[in-house]
Amino acid sequence: MTRRALVVGAGGLGGPLALALGAAGLELWIVDPDVVEASNLHRQVQFTPADVGQPKAARLAAAVVARGGVARGFQTRWTPDDADDLGEAMDLVVDGCDDPGTKFGVADWAVAAGTPYVIAAAVQLGGNAMAGAPGAACYRCLFEAPAPALQCATAGVLGPVVGAIGGVAAALAIGLVRGDRTHAGSIFVFDDLRAGADPRIVRFQPRPGCPACARAPVATRRAESA
Amino acid sequence: MITVRVPGPLRALTGGAAEVSLDAVTVRGALAELERKHPGVATRVLDASGAVHPFVRLFVGADDIGDLAGLETVLADRDELAIVPAIAGGAHA
Repeated sequence: MTRRALVVGAGGLGGPLALALGAAGLELWIVDPDVVEASNLHRQVQFTPADVGQPKAARLAAAVVARGGVARGFQTRWTPDDADDLGEAMDLVVDGCDDPGTKFGVADWAVAAGTPYVIAAAVQLGGNAMAGAPGAACYRCLFEAPAPALQCATAGVLGPVVGAIGGVAAALAIGLVRGDRTHAGSIFVFDDLRAGADPRIVRFQPRPGCPACARAPVATRRAESA
Repeated sequence: MITVRVPGPLRALTGGAAEVSLDAVTVRGALAELERKHPGVATRVLDASGAVHPFVRLFVGADDIGDLAGLETVLADRDELAIVPAIAGGAHA
């Protein structure tokens, strides 16, 4: 049976995520409201100069399809309001977007839907990737609220960093969709990829009173501690 | 002597240093010493009431201080205190 994944963000992180997941045989739905800009090309290597001005989601989907995968792109901003439509029957959700609020929204939605997910982020020389699955600590257990803007658009990022973090996120995602929960409830933190590629891997515990976990399907709550 | 791991977004306040070595007995003391050495860092970690911001987590080694004694967690020589903020980055969506 073909597994379906929702990819939120078609940029520097979404690119390697989608290419890897597409090559692994997942059917992808990719959402991103933006168009490709020339300034993106140094870190969003899934695009070429010919893609400039075109919707990122559609061009990334085309790149996946060109490699034998199955994908469709939606030029839209992910919002909780239409997430149920976009995310219907998803087996996996991966996030590589640049908006702190959206990351929490995606994670909260995945927890409420009982869907495994990966949240990836990269800024400057490092980044992190967090894997979540029903019953494990969630993104909001780790961080309770979005931070003030610490984004590529404002803080910058070294081009290859997003490829590296996106690759790690894809590996975590493929593990989750195969049922491997080894890293569910863990975050991989890369401080500075110029100095070393070994992440700090921290497994954290569900936070009592977490509002996201409270909306999880009852059968999946705190399954690990039951 | 312990080592504080400074995340990228805060390194502008440490002169670009990814690590800061200092003497401290507790996590709270380490942050105070870090603030003395590099003014502005602690206010990015702690709110006005002195609590850790909800978008930051602190780890001693691989342990979340929330699972230890919080800011009063006692540090041993050569411990590593990591500041891990929530970040975005990737693409607008």
